[in-house]
Amino acid sequence: MAIKKKNFRNGTKGNRRRNGASQSTRATTGVRAYSIPDMRLEHPDLSVRQAIEKDKDGAEHVRYEVTGNLNAPVPPIRDSKYLDKKECIEIYRYMLLNRRMEVALENLYKQGKVVGGVYFGLGQEACSCASAYALDKDDWFAPMIRNQGSLLVRGFRASDTMMQYMAKADSPTHGRDGTSHFGDIEKRNMVSPISMLGDLIPVLSGVALGARLQGRNIAVMTYIGDGGQSTGVTYEGINFAAVQNLGLALVVESNEWAYSTPSEMQYRCKDLAERAIGYGIPGVIVDGTDACQVYDAARDAVERAHRGEGPTLIEAKMMRMKGHAIHDAAAYVPKPMFDFWKKRDPIARFENYLVKEKKWLTAKENAELISELERVIEAEREIAVNSPMPTPESAEGGVFCEDGCHEIKPKYGMPKVKKGTAGYKQTEAAGHLK
Amino acid sequence: MQLTYLEAIRQGIWEEMDRDPSVFCLGEDIGIYGGAFKVTDGFIDRFGPERVIDTPIAESAIVGAAFGASLTGMRPVAEFQFMDFIGCAFNQISNMVAKTHYLWGAPAPLVLRGPSGGYVHGGPFHSQNPEMWFVHNPGLKVICPATPYDAKGLIKAAIRDNNPCIFFEHKYLYRRIKGEVPAEDYVVPIGKANIVREGRDLSIITYAAMVHTALEAAGILKNDGIDIEILDLRTVSPLDREAIAQTVKKTNKVIILHEHSRTGGLAGEIAAIINEEAFDDLDGAIVRIAGLDSAIPFSPPQEEHYLPKVEDVVREARRLKAY
Repeated sequence: MAIKKKNFRNGTKGNRRRNGASQSTRATTGVRAYSIPDMRLEHPDLSVRQAIEKDKDGAEHVRYEVTGNLNAPVPPIRDSKYLDKKECIEIYRYMLLNRRMEVALENLYKQGKVVGGVYFGLGQEACSCASAYALDKDDWFAPMIRNQGSLLVRGFRASDTMMQYMAKADSPTHGRDGTSHFGDIEKRNMVSPISMLGDLIPVLSGVALGARLQGRNIAVMTYIGDGGQSTGVTYEGINFAAVQNLGLALVVESNEWAYSTPSEMQYRCKDLAERAIGYGIPGVIVDGTDACQVYDAARDAVERAHRGEGPTLIEAKMMRMKGHAIHDAAAYVPKPMFDFWKKRDPIARFENYLVKEKKWLTAKENAELISELERVIEAEREIAVNSPMPTPESAEGGVFCEDGCHEIKPKYGMPKVKKGTAGYKQTEAAGHLK
Repeated sequence: MQLTYLEAIRQGIWEEMDRDPSVFCLGEDIGIYGGAFKVTDGFIDRFGPERVIDTPIAESAIVGAAFGASLTGMRPVAEFQFMDFIGCAFNQISNMVAKTHYLWGAPAPLVLRGPSGGYVHGGPFHSQNPEMWFVHNPGLKVICPATPYDAKGLIKAAIRDNNPCIFFEHKYLYRRIKGEVPAEDYVVPIGKANIVREGRDLSIITYAAMVHTALEAAGILKNDGIDIEILDLRTVSPLDREAIAQTVKKTNKVIILHEHSRTGGLAGEIAAIINEEAFDDLDGAIVRIAGLDSAIPFSPPQEEHYLPKVEDVVREARRLKAY
């Protein structure tokens, strides 16, 4: 969709800035009127701490224990401000596809067909799928390891991800990398993640900067965990987007555990969304297991980005329902915590909402949808399994973009630049160090 | 026209920004202030704050943003105030930028540039030559010019290149040397070394400020009847293997001279290339002249002791010639 270019005004003087850029303005009022909207319909009060436990022989062990109301009732799904019946069912379909794909991946692993490990987004499907669903076609995104559902929403096939895990010749990286580490700058506007956490945030901000120089305000979405947000580059990236007023929609996936470390040992503030206050950008809290809440917050962020209003931080609260990767049984997680969040399974809740509450799907239609997706996954699995392994020699080449390999041109059109009247003259200013 | 090394770089970037609307600059204090060394002095008046962007002090954000913009087809030129600070962005460069084309086929046409090098008493954090950190990173082009002509031709080539280029500007040379730079548009090809002095007796393979050290030494050695050939690498990654082999085949004796620390330095790699390409042509052991294996100290007598000097080159050349 075409986005109308706006003439932005700069600060108090009202000088129009050239080339379509807008500048953030620092809040100057004396009253701190910040608040963090919380869209959740429940506020779990669970907390994890280290405690000493004695085994049957009396030996002491340090373990995690959970406290809080573990029997709180499961909240309903919040009706979306934006989503209609068709869209809800479509998101539900992606969530189901996400989960079925991961079940298939687990089976491929057990059959010895996967190279390395498998990462799961179990319990986080609503967050991955509903957030990516909020993007428009021209927007960009970059997933993290658990956002395999986002890839499906953006038009990648389950077989793409399967082949990545199996290191196959036809995988998007032709065997050179695995997991969700692939990208597409031409059609699906996806930046490949790297394993280091937080680095995508300035990169996506740069994508928005590039587009803005070309006259377009686009939204750029990426994800970071409660663990990953501890990195310095996370701060650098969000702050850069904030001062440059770039359309970053950052989904902070607070999923309780960073590998084996609970969020209590990652940060001290109550909610990570509070960090938005420090950046001077809007922050919002949603229930990450409620697809409607995730979508609404993500869509608000995307629309702010399209209007040139800058970044948004969305904290989605949920729980990683498996270990860090397939090798990790997550024995360090107190079992009652799994039980608590299992009742908040995003797919079961959304199914209940669509079938029983809204009656937008009959039980029969739901069963048909599930069996259709099983057939889809089986067909995708066949494609992946039948792809050959890459040849050894295919390890070579492609380090550089050689002549004729890519034509580089601004994606949204050559920037329309206005030049100042000052011409070139040699500098006479004093420099740092003699 | 005669330009300083700094002015040649400045003019090169200016002309590219004038020519191509997809080129833009970002970095710390590069706007109204014009950069710590004034390479972008006056750019903001001409090209506007949208294309000459003052950033927070956040090197990973600078590189990340440059990379992201390059994915949309822009050609960002990011300044490091001092190349010593490139370490702050190492992960972005090494794991994100360098690997992107090989892993998922996305070109990243960006330039990371800034001042490096010693001889200005900048101390341990303002004098380093960190080019080797990136020579060992496949996917990056590493450029270290020695003359105003090459500096202008290579910065233009780097901006036009479809790959990430790291451009090391030797701050000792910024305002100390002048050279002839043509008025018309030209580029110097990346990856091509240059014989800056022809000679018969002995080759010095070097680059950046050390080219001038080698030239001065060659002038002294001429009085001894020793005829020195100097090969200026200009690009340290990819290396011009053919030019390295050719000069060795011609003179049969070689000194490799660089400013950064000896261990794990470029001389080791070049010596290995000579082994592979021209071992039978050697008439003497390969000689390395390099910085000490320590940080670069601050105090002038210590810094002078750390860095290669003309007399080191003269002494080693006499010794090697006599071998």
